[in-house]
Amino acid sequence: MKTILKNGLRAGITFGIVFIFLLLIGFINVGSTMIGDILGTNVQDQVPVNNLLITLAILGLFTGITAKSGCGECKWWMALLGGLTAGLVSGILAWLAIWITGTLSVGGAELQTYLPNLDPEDMAFLRFYSTPSAAANTYLIYLSLSSLAGAGLAWLLSFKNWFSRGWDTAKTKVSSWFEDKNVSDVIHNPWATAVILAIVGVALYFLPLTWGSYWNYIMGTVAIYILLGLGLNIIVGYSGQLVLGYVAFFATGAYTFALLTAPTPHGIGLNLWLAVGASVVVSTLTGLLLGLPILNLRGDYLAIVTLGFGEIIRILIKSDLLTDITNGPKGVTNVGQPNWFGEVFNDVNYMHLLMLLVLIGLFIAKRLKDSGTGRAWIAIREDQTVAQATGINTYGSKILALLLGAAFAGLAGALFASRNQFTGPEDFTLMVSINVLCIVIVGGMGSLPGVVIGAFVLKGLPELLRELEDYRLLVFGALLVVMMIVRPEGLWPAASTHFKQPSKKQPSEAAVEVKQ
Amino acid sequence: MINKLKNLKLTPGLILRILVGLGVLVFLGWRIYQTAFGEGTYGPDTWMRFLIAGLVIGGMYALIAIGYTLVYGILFMINFAHGEVMMLGTFAGYFALEAFAAIPAPAAAGPDLNFLNAYPVIALILTFLAGAGTSALVGLLLERIAYRPLRGAPRLIPLISAIGASIFLQNAAQLLFGPQRRQYMNPDILWRGMGWMIPVGGKEVMLTYTGAFSFVLSILLMVALFILVKRTKLGKSMRAVAENKQAAALMGIDVDSVISKTFIISGILAGAAGVMWGIHNGLFNHYVGFIPGIKAFTAAVLGGIGNIPGAMMGGMLLGLLESMGPALLGLDFQLKDVIAFTILILVLIFRPSGLLGEALTEEKV
Repeated sequence: MKTILKNGLRAGITFGIVFIFLLLIGFINVGSTMIGDILGTNVQDQVPVNNLLITLAILGLFTGITAKSGCGECKWWMALLGGLTAGLVSGILAWLAIWITGTLSVGGAELQTYLPNLDPEDMAFLRFYSTPSAAANTYLIYLSLSSLAGAGLAWLLSFKNWFSRGWDTAKTKVSSWFEDKNVSDVIHNPWATAVILAIVGVALYFLPLTWGSYWNYIMGTVAIYILLGLGLNIIVGYSGQLVLGYVAFFATGAYTFALLTAPTPHGIGLNLWLAVGASVVVSTLTGLLLGLPILNLRGDYLAIVTLGFGEIIRILIKSDLLTDITNGPKGVTNVGQPNWFGEVFNDVNYMHLLMLLVLIGLFIAKRLKDSGTGRAWIAIREDQTVAQATGINTYGSKILALLLGAAFAGLAGALFASRNQFTGPEDFTLMVSINVLCIVIVGGMGSLPGVVIGAFVLKGLPELLRELEDYRLLVFGALLVVMMIVRPEGLWPAASTHFKQPSKKQPSEAAVEVKQ
Repeated sequence: MINKLKNLKLTPGLILRILVGLGVLVFLGWRIYQTAFGEGTYGPDTWMRFLIAGLVIGGMYALIAIGYTLVYGILFMINFAHGEVMMLGTFAGYFALEAFAAIPAPAAAGPDLNFLNAYPVIALILTFLAGAGTSALVGLLLERIAYRPLRGAPRLIPLISAIGASIFLQNAAQLLFGPQRRQYMNPDILWRGMGWMIPVGGKEVMLTYTGAFSFVLSILLMVALFILVKRTKLGKSMRAVAENKQAAALMGIDVDSVISKTFIISGILAGAAGVMWGIHNGLFNHYVGFIPGIKAFTAAVLGGIGNIPGAMMGGMLLGLLESMGPALLGLDFQLKDVIAFTILILVLIFRPSGLLGEALTEEKV
């Protein structure tokens, strides 16, 4: 009884704060507009106030579900009581927020000077075009009732972690299906493999033709990030070196390619395929230059040094010192594009090329992982001292990992510059390094399918959420945090990771020891 | 020493290190000779100006760097969102000053005065309390929500969580308060661009009020922190937890609460630095925390991460390097970050645990 009230209170306060936050960032309005778009009820950009009620109801349902999930397996009336408590608490917070902002707005205070989302027009919509107190009462009643309904619904379905359970079931099913005797016979039959590969190849060949250029652009970006992710996966995922300046190699690759092929500022006009090779070589050399002196550093020191190196490269490219060579902040335009039997590459050709390179990259990364060097990397990642004691040349292996990672980045950079026909210093900010690192971690460290999935989730999904343009990064940041708490081993963890996953319910070993 | 040299193996890395070191020393010597006896482009007054700017910015870096170092010392994680904690403090200070400017002062204080100019000292104290309080609250919540569930996870996991929190906070501030730049409303006695004129080498150099104020305040805060860590019971338990969590728990120290308090303290320092930043520089927006955050982390590493005097020294040094480095090396001022990061790389190549850091045990690295 006490716990359920406490849970309800906690859920209520949390969701009340979430409501106020959503209100202040203007999401309540945008959400209502989106619901109108989906239901087709918007009349000439006029959003009916009913949509606002639907938004509130969704929020309330989640409040109720959260309140219920705190009490595990409990009686129906307890679930409903918790839901009602949560709804009332969040409703009271919402009541206060609406009443205060509404009264101020009606009174003529210019809230939008400080909180730009609270301009009078939006506020009038949020008040249902009526008085602040009447609107606030509606909020209170609606949130309470929908939270009650949510708790009841959650009790009926009693779903708990259904998402993560569902995902795990699906994965075990798929993998057990692969392990099944008949299936594995088929898979290991070379003819069957050839047929499957042929089907996948044909599908990959025809997809870009049917997608249209918008999708080719997005998927091309995803493919470039897969290449980057594969490279960083060798450095971070395999050999365990935390490198936060991966963008430096990407930038050197892109600039080498651009400067060797663009008409300005040098007009060298090198053969494109040679230029790609040059990009890879220059990036690798950059890796060598960075790696030789610093790879003895460990952990966070290495992270900050490489981060600094990435910034150094970007600032140098932009600076007056190198403007004659790199064209400074303006960037390099008209970067060379490859020919295909006399015709300049179009988006479909690029997509094909990228797909091919991603497949080759996956193949190389897979072979590397299974090689002796790959096992040495994993040994270094798990315990450097032990690895050294078993006779592994840790320094050399780590340098090799960095060089290979840099080579991938150089290739990706050349493709990036060529596809965009432009490259400028602002393409290579710290955020690129962070994004690639997130791809590796979110996908699952050291896991190749993980890199592919991570790139799709982190670079593809945000493109799909164009509707919510302004809120993309906000959601991205929150998702990273949630992901690390709920599923720290990544979406598709590598098979042989030695991570102990700290589950949410059971405190980690260290915490237990400390508490006792 | 000689034994040490005998055991030295000439790896390619070491040769490269020696070559780089010699190169840097020769270049530095040549540059210092040039600036001292050769060109003479900059007079003593200009150097004085660089010195003042460097100390002021260095004080703020030091305050933020202490936050990184405290958290790192206890949890061995980079609190990547620390710059965003400072940014929210800047916003809180801005709103406090705007509010004080909007409140009319009682008639006794004088005609047509607002609260801010009638009682500037009280208003400033309250502003700093608002900024520091907000940042402390954000730091506390950050630890509760984003870091506490991840204790004992592999090292990279909390780092990604911190990066996520950083992105979230930055965009939340943009969505809440809008992307435009805002300007701090200083009280009249601390008006930006006013200051004392100090004669240096026949010319006058301005020591701005805001600069002097920020510097003095940052020194005071650092002294207060030092006393807190060295003399109080909380400081003692913080040091104990940093040394060994389990042993500290066995001695009856509530580890979770000490960690929370550490985040609160680093939040307070970051918030104060944020308000100083606003008061001294004036313009700010939601990006204000990002660059100082990275710089301060650099400063913390430069001094030896986990080491509080190291963070203070690293911050000051980084500030001075940024303001004087380009002139000393005869480079453009847009390269000041390159110089700062290059110095960091060089320091770490030759002293891998930072200037004041002790060699860390394997577990802590």
